[in-house]
Amino acid sequence: MIRMDRRLFEHFDMILMLFICMVCTMALFNLYSASFPHSEYGVAPYVRQGYFFLMGVCAFVFAISFDYRELHSLNYPFYVLIIFLLVIAFFVGDEAGGSQRWINLGFFRLQPSEPAKLMLVIALASFYSRKEVADGYSIRQLLVPVGLTAIPFVLILLQPDLGTSLMFGIIFVSMTVFVKLRMSTYVIMGSLALGLGGFAWEQLLKPYQKQRIQTFLNPEKDPMGHGYQIVQSKIAVGSGGTFGKGYMEGTQGHLHFLPERHTDFAFAVWGEEWGFAGSLIFLGIYFMLLLWGIYVAMHAKDRFGVLLAFGVVTLIFWQAIINLLMILGFLPVVGIPLPLVSYGGSSLLTTMFALGILMNVRMRRFQSLQSVET
Amino acid sequence: MGLKLFFKEIDDISEHDEGALDLLKKRLLGAAVVIIVFFTIIVLRLWSLQVTHGKDYERRAYNNRVQVQRVVAPRGHILDRNGNEIVTNRPSFNVVLIRKDSRDLGAVLKRLAPVLEKDVSELWKKIREASGTPRYLPIRLKEDIDWETLAYLENHNHDFSGVRIEVQPVRVYHYGNLAANTLGYLGSISKKELAKADKKIYSGGDIIGKRGLERLRESDLRGEKGKNYSEVNAKGFEQQLLKSIDPLPGREIRLTLDVALQQVAETFMDAGEKSGAVVAMEVNTGRLLTVVSTPSIHIDQFVGGISHTNWKALLDNPKHPLINKAVQANYPPGSTYKMVTALAGLGKGVINEHTVFYCPGYYRFGNRTYRCWKRGGHGPVNLKKAISQSCDVYFYQVGQRVGVNSLAEYAQKLGLGKKTGVDMEHEKRGLTPTKEWKLKYRKGKWQEGETLSVAIGQGFNLVTPIQMCVMTATLANGGRVYRPQLVETVVDPEGNVVESFKPEMVNEVKGLDRYFRLIREGMVEVVQGKRGTARSVAIEGLRIGGKTGTAQVVKIAVYRHLKEKDIPYKFRDHAWFTCYAPAEHPEIAVTVMVEHGLHGGSGAGPVARAILSEYFRNRLENVNSEMAIAH
Repeated sequence: MIRMDRRLFEHFDMILMLFICMVCTMALFNLYSASFPHSEYGVAPYVRQGYFFLMGVCAFVFAISFDYRELHSLNYPFYVLIIFLLVIAFFVGDEAGGSQRWINLGFFRLQPSEPAKLMLVIALASFYSRKEVADGYSIRQLLVPVGLTAIPFVLILLQPDLGTSLMFGIIFVSMTVFVKLRMSTYVIMGSLALGLGGFAWEQLLKPYQKQRIQTFLNPEKDPMGHGYQIVQSKIAVGSGGTFGKGYMEGTQGHLHFLPERHTDFAFAVWGEEWGFAGSLIFLGIYFMLLLWGIYVAMHAKDRFGVLLAFGVVTLIFWQAIINLLMILGFLPVVGIPLPLVSYGGSSLLTTMFALGILMNVRMRRFQSLQSVET
Repeated sequence: MGLKLFFKEIDDISEHDEGALDLLKKRLLGAAVVIIVFFTIIVLRLWSLQVTHGKDYERRAYNNRVQVQRVVAPRGHILDRNGNEIVTNRPSFNVVLIRKDSRDLGAVLKRLAPVLEKDVSELWKKIREASGTPRYLPIRLKEDIDWETLAYLENHNHDFSGVRIEVQPVRVYHYGNLAANTLGYLGSISKKELAKADKKIYSGGDIIGKRGLERLRESDLRGEKGKNYSEVNAKGFEQQLLKSIDPLPGREIRLTLDVALQQVAETFMDAGEKSGAVVAMEVNTGRLLTVVSTPSIHIDQFVGGISHTNWKALLDNPKHPLINKAVQANYPPGSTYKMVTALAGLGKGVINEHTVFYCPGYYRFGNRTYRCWKRGGHGPVNLKKAISQSCDVYFYQVGQRVGVNSLAEYAQKLGLGKKTGVDMEHEKRGLTPTKEWKLKYRKGKWQEGETLSVAIGQGFNLVTPIQMCVMTATLANGGRVYRPQLVETVVDPEGNVVESFKPEMVNEVKGLDRYFRLIREGMVEVVQGKRGTARSVAIEGLRIGGKTGTAQVVKIAVYRHLKEKDIPYKFRDHAWFTCYAPAEHPEIAVTVMVEHGLHGGSGAGPVARAILSEYFRNRLENVNSEMAIAH
């Protein structure tokens, strides 16, 4: 039984909560417009997303209800469960858009690759918090984290969802670099990555994946084909101008010029309707949330807390950056959502749970009574 | 099992110490910097897209969103002076294919081909040609299908997914080929025309006036296209019609032409398979009543685009149906030119009405003998007799005395040698030779003998039938040269008259009234006199003044001894007849030119007679009935 400490409430971070609420509110607002006309869907996406937010709140509350240090041990079954789901999804999952895999739970189509990202963050945070090396990790010491990353990476790559699988690599690199490596480790890892990348381009990438990357290099060349999405997304954002077309007035989105307008390209709808000014406000709040996450990490009481908070920020930050750079035409179209903003229950629940962990670290920044008592 | 062991090992890893934690936290500052850097990159990119290039993207978004379909305006109607519709429009039903709506295209085309009487490969070709264009744009498979095909397609539309019927106005010619060369025809705008055209008005595939009045009056006739603005989504599906601007029909043009007269002239020319031209004009205004050129183009061949074979046949036809012979062809005027010589003689004081020359049937000049057409000679000849019997010898002597430059001077006063300025394209200017002209263009000194040829309308002289008509009208009205005009009124769709006929006098010859009268007396004698060369043209109850002309095509005497019917067609003389009526108060001038028609009186006269009979029909009937009552 977990004892509820009075200080938990005292340390509940209202600023973090405020940022989360603001982003979620704007996101839901945006989704209402982005999925217009709603008659095209069985249940309008903003309604479904609303339910997911409620579930997300539950996930958030659950995530703060226990001491995050419990994750050291909870981590194992969580890891095993997610890998199991990924395997299930690979064999019996539904395919959507030729890449992502879902497990149909009836009321909800679970995309196990989303919680898998958080799973990796927790696993790595747990690993790196237990072993500390003054002069950095050697390559041999990294075998375990590499293995932890490689299992979901390969399973998702086989789906085949290149974009999502690369997220695991990015999380691994971010967290590993953060905890300090030996110089020799950098060199070896770097050359290994280059070699693997070349091999992957030649042998592993599917033609459509190569096509996407090539299209990205020159999207205007084929505006009705593969470059279409990027061009339309740029037109949507650009046509918003300084102050935007006004809420619900975005023509690019409403007339279906914009692809995936309520999922991966949801922010393009915001950009079109609210313009540069609105985008600046939105991104300002979004990035303040991330910077606040760093602040939380700085005030964490132990190494695990720092790594967890940093990992959660990493998870949200890189997805957001990749998504935004894609929408703004700097990256090829990869199926990476903008956390909290893009429609999708798996991503939203995962993100809310991750933010819950962040809050958990924040709330338990004081020295625990247990350690005082013992 | 292995996995459990693996996690066990991790659990055993020892705990942290405070110093290392602080070091780790310092690294967080680097993470914050990374976040801020990326945030800045994204904000700068947003600034570039939304603020710097916002206007460009706004325009692209608008084009993306709104699909503009142009709606062709019905072209202006063309009417005759009495309001008879000559050219109007009717709907043409075209079969088009919209690929995005089509399922199982192969099967559809296979079913469609026999209905359209086309080969499947032909249809595929049209579809391949359109590859690369948006799939919602219609591809035209066949134009102007008949009612039966239309009914079949409508009744079986479930068999033809993606196949639509598109309605487009096309020209209807209510009088067939009537005035076809003058009215002209339509065709698809060419790349060259499109390059020069105003892009706000024209776009590829437009139908525009290619020739004749349809071309010259394109800006009046075309109207303004309508536009349908519809919102479409990225897949090209129409979401809703945003705005629709109805097309503004073209302006209606009422011509000065008289369909009845035009028909009479054409019927006569066609019946005799005569190649040539007829021009009838109001003497005191310049209004054209009839402009005929035969053989004419077959206007129906041009509806929906002329075929290559038909076009080649037109080009290869030795009678040049594409040329409007009334204005676009020069001919030697022959004896019709003698009025010019007479006027020059009178004007220069070389002759008066009493001057008599003796005609023995030839005139000797230098070491050459110039023959009169009448071998036996006309005997003593005064001006009136010279004109009425077309005595060559008389005019040789007049011409010789005034000189070629004076002949040219008076010819030009009467409107020859320069364009009349009629509303028709590619007008020829004719030629009134002078000494200077020959020196300049023929690099030779003028020979006095050449003046004699010019004096009887041969030699270097060239006129167009419309010039001859203008000249005749000028003689008839006493010296006023009018610009011949075709358009009476131009009326916009609201009924406002935007343009209406005004007589335009190009030149007025003053002080020669008496000479004009003398010449007219001679011309009346041509038709009304007992020995006139055009007695056959005379109409009871109407006095007509006229002049015949026979223009040599070749000088070679080889064919002279042959019977007329044995002379090869292309070497036969051209026949002219030009006249005006009524003689007392002239109203109408008629000029008939029949290529290789041999004799003015017999070859060209009957056409003029028919036109005058039609023009004066009501008055002649009244006169006749009055006379019947008096008797």
